[in-house]
Amino acid sequence: MAVQETKLLTEHYDKNEFQGLQGYLKFGGYEDLKKALKMQPQAVIDEVKASGLRGRGGAGFPTGVKWGFLPKNNEDRYLLCNADEGEPGTFKDRMMMERAPHQLIEGMIISAFAVNSKKSYIYIRGEYDDSIAIVAKAIKEAYEAGFLGKNILGSGFDHDMDVYKGAGAYICGEETGMISSLEGFKGQPKLKPPFPAIQGYLKKPTIVNNVETLAAVKYIIRDGAQAYRKYGTEKSPGTKLFSVSGNVMRPGNYEVPLGTSLKDLIYEYCGGLRPGRKLKAVIPGGSSAPVLTAEEAMKVNMDYESLAQAGSMLGSGAVIVIDDSNCMVDLLDVTLHFYHHESCGQCTPCREGTGWISKITHSIKNGEGTVKDIDLIKAVSEHMMGKTICALSDAAAMPAISFVTKFRDEFEYFVKEGRSKVKEVAHA
Amino acid sequence: MSETAFELSKEGAEFVKKELSRYETKHSAIIPALYQVQKENGWVPPAAINYLAQLMELPESHINEVFMFYTMFNKVPTGKLHIQVCTNISCSMNGGRELANKLCKHFNVKPGEVSADGKVTVSKVECLGSCDTAPMMQVNDRYVENLDFDKALRALKEMGV
Amino acid sequence: MPKCTINGKEVEVPQGASIIEAFKAMGEDICHYCWHPGLSVAGVCRLCMVQIEGIPKLQIACNTEVKDGMVITNQSEQVKDTVKWGLDFHLINHPLDCPICDQAGECGLQDQYMQYGKYDPEMAEKKVKKHKVVDLGPTIVLDSERCILCSRCVRFTEEVSQTNELGIFNRGDRSEIGTVDGKPLDNNYSLNTVDICPVGALTSKDFRFRQRVWYLKDSDSICPGCSTGCNVKVYFNEEGLWRVKPRYNAEVNGHWMCDVGRDTYKYVNKRARLLKVRAGQAEYWEDKEVFSAVMEAGRDLRESAEKNPNSVAVVMTGQYTNEEFKEFFDFAAGELKLTRFYHWMNDPAHAEDFDGLLYRGDKNPNTNGLKAEAKTHGGFKSFEDLQANLGGLETILVLGPENQSQFDDIKEKVEMFGKAKKVIWLTACGSEEINALRAPSVQIPMKTYIEKAGSFTNYKGLVQEFKRGTTIVEDALTLSEVVTLFRGHELDYKNRPQPLGGTKKNHFTEIRGQL
Repeated sequence: MAVQETKLLTEHYDKNEFQGLQGYLKFGGYEDLKKALKMQPQAVIDEVKASGLRGRGGAGFPTGVKWGFLPKNNEDRYLLCNADEGEPGTFKDRMMMERAPHQLIEGMIISAFAVNSKKSYIYIRGEYDDSIAIVAKAIKEAYEAGFLGKNILGSGFDHDMDVYKGAGAYICGEETGMISSLEGFKGQPKLKPPFPAIQGYLKKPTIVNNVETLAAVKYIIRDGAQAYRKYGTEKSPGTKLFSVSGNVMRPGNYEVPLGTSLKDLIYEYCGGLRPGRKLKAVIPGGSSAPVLTAEEAMKVNMDYESLAQAGSMLGSGAVIVIDDSNCMVDLLDVTLHFYHHESCGQCTPCREGTGWISKITHSIKNGEGTVKDIDLIKAVSEHMMGKTICALSDAAAMPAISFVTKFRDEFEYFVKEGRSKVKEVAHA
Repeated sequence: MSETAFELSKEGAEFVKKELSRYETKHSAIIPALYQVQKENGWVPPAAINYLAQLMELPESHINEVFMFYTMFNKVPTGKLHIQVCTNISCSMNGGRELANKLCKHFNVKPGEVSADGKVTVSKVECLGSCDTAPMMQVNDRYVENLDFDKALRALKEMGV
Repeated sequence: MPKCTINGKEVEVPQGASIIEAFKAMGEDICHYCWHPGLSVAGVCRLCMVQIEGIPKLQIACNTEVKDGMVITNQSEQVKDTVKWGLDFHLINHPLDCPICDQAGECGLQDQYMQYGKYDPEMAEKKVKKHKVVDLGPTIVLDSERCILCSRCVRFTEEVSQTNELGIFNRGDRSEIGTVDGKPLDNNYSLNTVDICPVGALTSKDFRFRQRVWYLKDSDSICPGCSTGCNVKVYFNEEGLWRVKPRYNAEVNGHWMCDVGRDTYKYVNKRARLLKVRAGQAEYWEDKEVFSAVMEAGRDLRESAEKNPNSVAVVMTGQYTNEEFKEFFDFAAGELKLTRFYHWMNDPAHAEDFDGLLYRGDKNPNTNGLKAEAKTHGGFKSFEDLQANLGGLETILVLGPENQSQFDDIKEKVEMFGKAKKVIWLTACGSEEINALRAPSVQIPMKTYIEKAGSFTNYKGLVQEFKRGTTIVEDALTLSEVVTLFRGHELDYKNRPQPLGGTKKNHFTEIRGQL
C-alpha cells in the first residue's frame, strides 16, 4: 500500500520550473509575502508562535518564542539561515534549496519583516555548490522583481539578502559556530550567555533558523496557524521533511505530518528493507541521536516528545535504517571518526574525549579491545556530556553510550573473538 | 621563510578587494579569498597566506587560522580532479569505504595524496548530504551519485581521467 | 553590590563580577587554566565548574555573573568528579615530559592534578603526536604536545601586545599554537606569554634547561630598566640571579612587564660585575681592595673640594635610590659644598617616549627622585658648562649608569671625562668603554638594585619601595656606603649582608656553564 506524502512545503517540488522565478510565481509565489507585508510585524510573530512551529534544524526550539527574545528596540538585527546541513543522514535542505530556492527566500523575507531585520544571510555549506549557485541566482531574480532591496512592494520595508559559502566544517551547523564563521573566523561556537538573540553576529541581535523552518513560515502565513496545527501533534505541529537512508528500498526525503509512526515511515513510505533482511536498529534523528533497537523503533512515533520519551531525539529528522547485515561496532567506529574529525577543538572534554572514544572503538574493531574498554567508552562519554560550550560533545557521547549499551553483545563478541559477530568489517 | 612568492591574477586580486567591502566586516572576505587562491592554484601554499595578509591588510595568524580550520581548503598540492568519496555512516553501510579504497588502488594513490601525474587526488570525506544516493562522491564541485566501482570509473573517464 | 555565598562563606563583590573573581577575592581555591584576570574570558578549559543552588547543570565560574543571593560551591561530589575527569581529559594526550620540562615545580597541571586528580590513568591508546621544540621567535620555544590549548598566549598577542603573531591552527585534537612563516613571535612583551602559559608549552630560550625552579628563592623588587617602575619578582640562588618576572600592580604595570626589563638580570651576576676597585687608566688597570681604596679616593676628593669646590664635577644618572641620593647630596653639597652637578640622561630628546603599554624612553628608574633631590641643592648645570670648564677640573665623579647599553653616548662621555685630572667612576659592571678612560681613574664596584633596599620614584611621581633580595658581590657598595667611606668613616663590616653560601657542585653546572 503506497502511502501519499503530505505535500505542504513540497507540493510543487516535482515541477522543474518551480526553481525559477516565473515558475514559482505561477504557483502562488510571493503571494504570502504580499499578505505578510500588509500585517503588523508583531502579528506575524504571533501567528508563528500560535502555530507551534519548532526549529527544524535539530534543536526543535519553538520558532515564535525564539523570535520573541529579540530586543524590542530599533537596534540593527540579523536573520541568518542555517543551510550548513552537516548532520550525517540529513539531505532535506539541499533538496529544498535546489528545487525551491524562492520558497526559502520568501519565507526569509516574511520572517525578516516580522523581526524587523534589514539584512539576512543564507550560510550554505561549501560542498553544496549547486545549491549555492541556484540560491544566488534566485536572490538576483528576487531583487530584479522587487522582492528584495528598498521599499519592498511599496511596503516601506527594506531588506537585503546575500549568500555565504562555507568551507567544510560540521561545527558551522551550530548556530554560534555559524555566526563565528560568517564573521570571518574559525567556526568555533561562542560562550552563551550572551545568547544570539541579544548578542550574535557582530555582537548584534541575531536570529538563526533552519531552511525548513523559514520555508514553513510562508505556509503558516498563507493558511494561518490553526490550519498548520491540523497537521502533526499538539506539541509537535506541522509537517516535517524526513531524510531516510541506510538499508531501505526507497531512500529519499519524505514530507509527512509529525507524529507519523517510524514503522509507517520505513515500511509504508520507504518500501521497507531489502529482501531477506531483518531490521536491527534505527537512528531516528541524525547520527547524534541515540540509536533505537528494532523493537523500540517499531513502537515510536516521529515527533519531538515521543522520541524524547523513548530516550532519543527527533533532531534533524534524518532516519538511518540499519538492517542485520551491519556490525554495530563498525558503525559506531564510522560515527565516532566523524565527531573526532569535526570537533572544533576549543573545549578540552570534547577535543580530547572525541579522540579518546574514537580510538577505543577503533582498537576494539582492530581486535585489540578489552572488556574494560566497553565500560570506558560509556564512562568517558558520560563525562563529555553537559560540560562544553556547545553540544557536539554530547552529540558524540550519545550515540556512543546508546550503541555500547543496546548492542553490548556485539562489542563483547568483538573483544572476546577479535572479530565482528556479523561480518567482515571494512577499514577506512 | 617561504621559498616562492605567491600572487593572485589581476582579476583574482580585484575579486578579493571587492569581497572586502561586500560583507559587514573585512574578515568575512577571508574564506572567499582562500577559495580564489585555490581556484587559481589548485591548493593554498604558505606563501599565499602572507600574500593575502598584505593584500587584505589582515593579520597572517587570522588568515592562517581560517585556512587550517576548514576541510575544503587544500593544504597540499591536489590533483586536477579531487575525488572526494563519502565514508560516513549511510555511505559506509552501502560500500563507500570499499569504493574509496578501490579508487585509491586504481589510481595508485594513498588517500589525500596527489597522483604522480598530478591529475587525481582521492580523499575520504564526511557526510556530503546525499545519503539517499549512497555510495557517492564529489568530484571538484560535482556530485556523482548511486555509484558502484564501474559507474564511478565511467564518470571519471568523462571528466578526463 | 551583590552578595553571594561561596563554599559556605558570604562575600560581597562589585557589580558585574564573575564567580571566579569572587572565588579569587575570597582566596578560595578553584581549578582553572584558561581564565586570566588580565585577559578576556575564553571558557575553554571547562575546569572552573561550580554548582549553583537552583541550577541543576554545573556552570563555569569564569563566564557566570554573580547575582545577589547566589549560593555557590565547588566542593560537591558532582563538581569534584567533573574536575577530576576534566583534568584527565587534559592529560590523555599530554606527554610525560616532567623530567625534561622547565615548568616542573611551577606547573599548573602538576599542581592541580595533585589536588584534584584521578591518579588512575585509563588512557591506553596512542597519544597524539605534535611538534616539539618549535622556534617561535628570538626568545621563545614551543612544545605543542605539552600545550593544553588554553589560548592564553593567543589572547595575549591579540589583546595586550596587539601584535597578533599567535594563532591556534587546525581543528580538534590536531590543534596547535603557532606563528605564520615570516611573522615570528617577536615583540617587546612576548615573554609574558611564557609566564601565563600554565604548562611548559612556551619556554624562554634564555631560561631553558638552566635551573630547576625549586632551587630558586624569590624576592619582590622594582625593575630598573626605565621610568615606568614595573613591579617585579626576582628569582635567585647562591649562583646568582636567574630570571625576572612581573608582579601584579594595578596602577603601574598591571600583570605585565616588557622583555627589555627581563634582561636586567644579566648585568647583576658575578661574571658581569666589578668585584674589586679598579685603579689606573687606559691600557693599565689594577685591582685594589675596595674599602681602603675607596677611603683613599674619598680623602683626595675632600682635599680637592676643600681647596676649590668648583674643581669637582659630579655627573649623575637617575639609577640610585631616593635614600642614596639624599645621603649623597647631604655629603656632596651639604658638607663638601660642591656646586657642579650634571644630570646625565640617556637620549633626553626621547625621554618622554612611550610605547603605549609599559616601555618608556627614559631608561632610568629614578630620574624623578634624582631631580627632586637635586632641586633642593641648587639643581643641575648643563653639559655645555662641563665642556667649557673641563680644563680647570680636578676630579669628575661619575655615578652610574648600570644599563650602559642604553646610553648611546658613553664613548663620547668617556672621552670628555678623560680630560679632567682624575675620574672616580661608580659602576656595578665597568665596561670596555670605561676602561678606555685616559685620565687616572678609580672604578668603584656598586651594588645593583636587587642587592639593596630603598625606593624609586617613577615617571608619574609614584614612590615605590623595595627590599633587598640577595647579595651577589660582597664587596660592592651602595651609594650610601660610598658616602660613609668618602667621609673617612669605616663601615660596619661585621653586619654587612653576605651572599648566599656555597655553590652546589653538580655535573649540570659544568655542562651548562656558569651563570
